[in-house]
Amino acid sequence: MESVGAECTELKREYDACFISWFSDKFLKGDKDDSVCAPLLEVYKKCVQNALKEKNINVDEVNIRVLGTDDENRIPPGKSSP
Amino acid sequence: MKIWTSEHVFNHSWETVAQAAWRKYPNPINPAVWGTDVVDRHVDPRDGALITHRIISSQWGLPSWAASILGNPSACYASEVSRVNASTRNFQLDTQNLTFGSHIAVDEKLIYLPHPDDPMNKTLLRQEAVVTVSGVPLTSYMESVLTNTISSNAGKGRAAMEWVIEKVNQGLRSMDDLSHAARKSLEFDAV
Repeated sequence: MESVGAECTELKREYDACFISWFSDKFLKGDKDDSVCAPLLEVYKKCVQNALKEKNINVDEVNIRVLGTDDENRIPPGKSSP
Repeated sequence: MKIWTSEHVFNHSWETVAQAAWRKYPNPINPAVWGTDVVDRHVDPRDGALITHRIISSQWGLPSWAASILGNPSACYASEVSRVNASTRNFQLDTQNLTFGSHIAVDEKLIYLPHPDDPMNKTLLRQEAVVTVSGVPLTSYMESVLTNTISSNAGKGRAAMEWVIEKVNQGLRSMDDLSHAARKSLEFDAV
């Protein structure tokens, strides 16, 4: 599996490997502490953000922080049915 | 606007399906999807659910009539927001297209939950897609074509999940193992 930015693919693989172990061995067993993969995620996320910007993928829409807020379940503007 | 819904039962526990869902790509059944990237991920302090925002990159083979109306981008992107709650055993994914976003809105919702009849061994998948096309010719026709495509892709998605679960059960634990297995399957199919 590739990353949207070729330069991020290696970072993605390292992070994904960490995440998969954490999800199976910790999260599903009730341990919610996600600090073990956090440093890998930080580096990888920065790389992806730059790649998205370079490719002109709507980063504003991507970066709007709605997750975990009351906006999460709200229909975004322009996406409502006609 | 067109709405499509479907249900499917996996003969695997919710935990097995949840792990496989993160490893769904790559698989030989959906070769169009070539990339997945996390742009945000955190645990919701309110209920302990894992919230993830990903970008899915794929290569579409658009029919030429559609490409002449919409354009033919080299890659298509979608935005996926998911919430996994391990206590209530609920895994919900919402996906929207980013490419063609001004004319086409495809909102797909997937929910994996324990099957009410056999919650320890079976998992129910509920799928829903809402397709809206506006501002281009052939609106209603395009909505039908997209809805039919989603319907046939849903079958592929379920087959892909079964493929990944089988590989995971065989002990292929890492992403690299799965990538290798997916590539080998593709080579085999090509022969």
